[in-house]
Amino acid sequence: MELIQFIELDLTGAILLILIGFVGGMVSGFIGSGGAFVLTPAMMTLGAPGIVAVASNICHKFPKALVGAIKRHKYGQVDVKLGLVMGVFAELGMLYGKHVMTGIKDRFGAVGTDLYVSAIFVVVLAIVGSFVYRDYRKLKSHPHGEEHRLTRLAKWVQSVHIPGTMIYFPGAKAKISFLFVAPMGFATGMLASTIAVGGFIGVPAMIYIFGVPALMASATELVIAFVMGLGGTIFYGLEGMVDLRLAMLILLGSLFGIQLGAIGTTYVKDYQVKLTMAVIMLTVLFSRLFYIPGYLSKLKLIEPLPETTVKTLKVAGDGVLALALLLGAITVLTALLRGIAEHRRQHEVLSENQGIAQ
Amino acid sequence: MAETPTRWGKTLFWGLLVALLYWGLFHYQDAIVRLAHTTTQSCLVVEDGKEVYYHKPTAEACAAKGGILIEGNRLNVLVPIVVAFVMSYAHGAFTGMFWDSLGLKAAKKK
Repeated sequence: MELIQFIELDLTGAILLILIGFVGGMVSGFIGSGGAFVLTPAMMTLGAPGIVAVASNICHKFPKALVGAIKRHKYGQVDVKLGLVMGVFAELGMLYGKHVMTGIKDRFGAVGTDLYVSAIFVVVLAIVGSFVYRDYRKLKSHPHGEEHRLTRLAKWVQSVHIPGTMIYFPGAKAKISFLFVAPMGFATGMLASTIAVGGFIGVPAMIYIFGVPALMASATELVIAFVMGLGGTIFYGLEGMVDLRLAMLILLGSLFGIQLGAIGTTYVKDYQVKLTMAVIMLTVLFSRLFYIPGYLSKLKLIEPLPETTVKTLKVAGDGVLALALLLGAITVLTALLRGIAEHRRQHEVLSENQGIAQ
Repeated sequence: MAETPTRWGKTLFWGLLVALLYWGLFHYQDAIVRLAHTTTQSCLVVEDGKEVYYHKPTAEACAAKGGILIEGNRLNVLVPIVVAFVMSYAHGAFTGMFWDSLGLKAAKKK
């Protein structure tokens, strides 16, 4: 018999969740990836068990992903076939990931899932954050960016022909064996069921392994996110892990923030977006890192730590997460306000010039 | 500019609808939490004046805690799905109109 407690929601907690959702949404809209890597740790910081935070996050995301996918499909940015094929395998990955999570919960309790989620966060954010930072350095030195070019790996993947497994994907403009697509989809789903962010695998896989242009990959990821999110909500919901109040409060702030963030990107350069993404990812990584000794101690996997040490580490972790959220909010709002001011100034100069000309 | 009052009217309508949906969600939050915990069989126990739910209980363990064993209903899982869709749609429409009404738009050219 396992106690699964949803957090108590008073007005302060609700306002905090809305604010966190707002900043998470802003960051998400700004960097064009799910803000879940900020939202899941934030929900855990407020006291939600890791498994409930992940499940509620997945629930708040899937309708948003559907709306986003439909919008971007209208712009011709979605490879529906690739999205659905990856989505089906992602669903299997999600199911397996949920099985792993519930297995950990049954064996080690909610703290076990907290440790698992935090450890995966640290590893994934370290890898992805470093890649994004490298991308930022590249983009900064070549500000006009590079045309979409196939990586060597993508060229090889597209050249492999395994009879009976080949599918033509319009996004990649090539036939790719589903034997390549299936494991990537599976890994995407498995990661999504663990930290609620599958895009960290799905999007790079589509770009670097299948040769799909970045814009199309991020739009196609929305289809995968919807398929996975719907399935994930059902799987976790059947286990009684989806806290709808949590999901909807995050959604309340997030939908305000996401549009602000998306508008913000139109006023800044690509490399500024990448830098923001890297800084936030690497900061969130440290916030989760501070929690790990406490979890290990609770599970008796290390020598028990004094209560004061665990509390100090928790305060440090919370502080670093608050810093990451603050950094995200300041970056997006500064970019937006500066951009708008600059835009207005240019508009005024243009109007004055037109006035003089007349 | 002449369409501004209509735009604000629509924004207000969707805003009120969203407020109503959120009011409903929190007014009935105990029932919603109960539905979430009872997709599977669970044990409701009152601890320190608060209702808490234990998952995957055995009848004996639940009785030992002085709790009530609740049979699960898998169909309860439809609640978060339907609510998330409805609220996401209404709130998405509202926020879009909200920023638009405030005049916050994307730059036409980077």
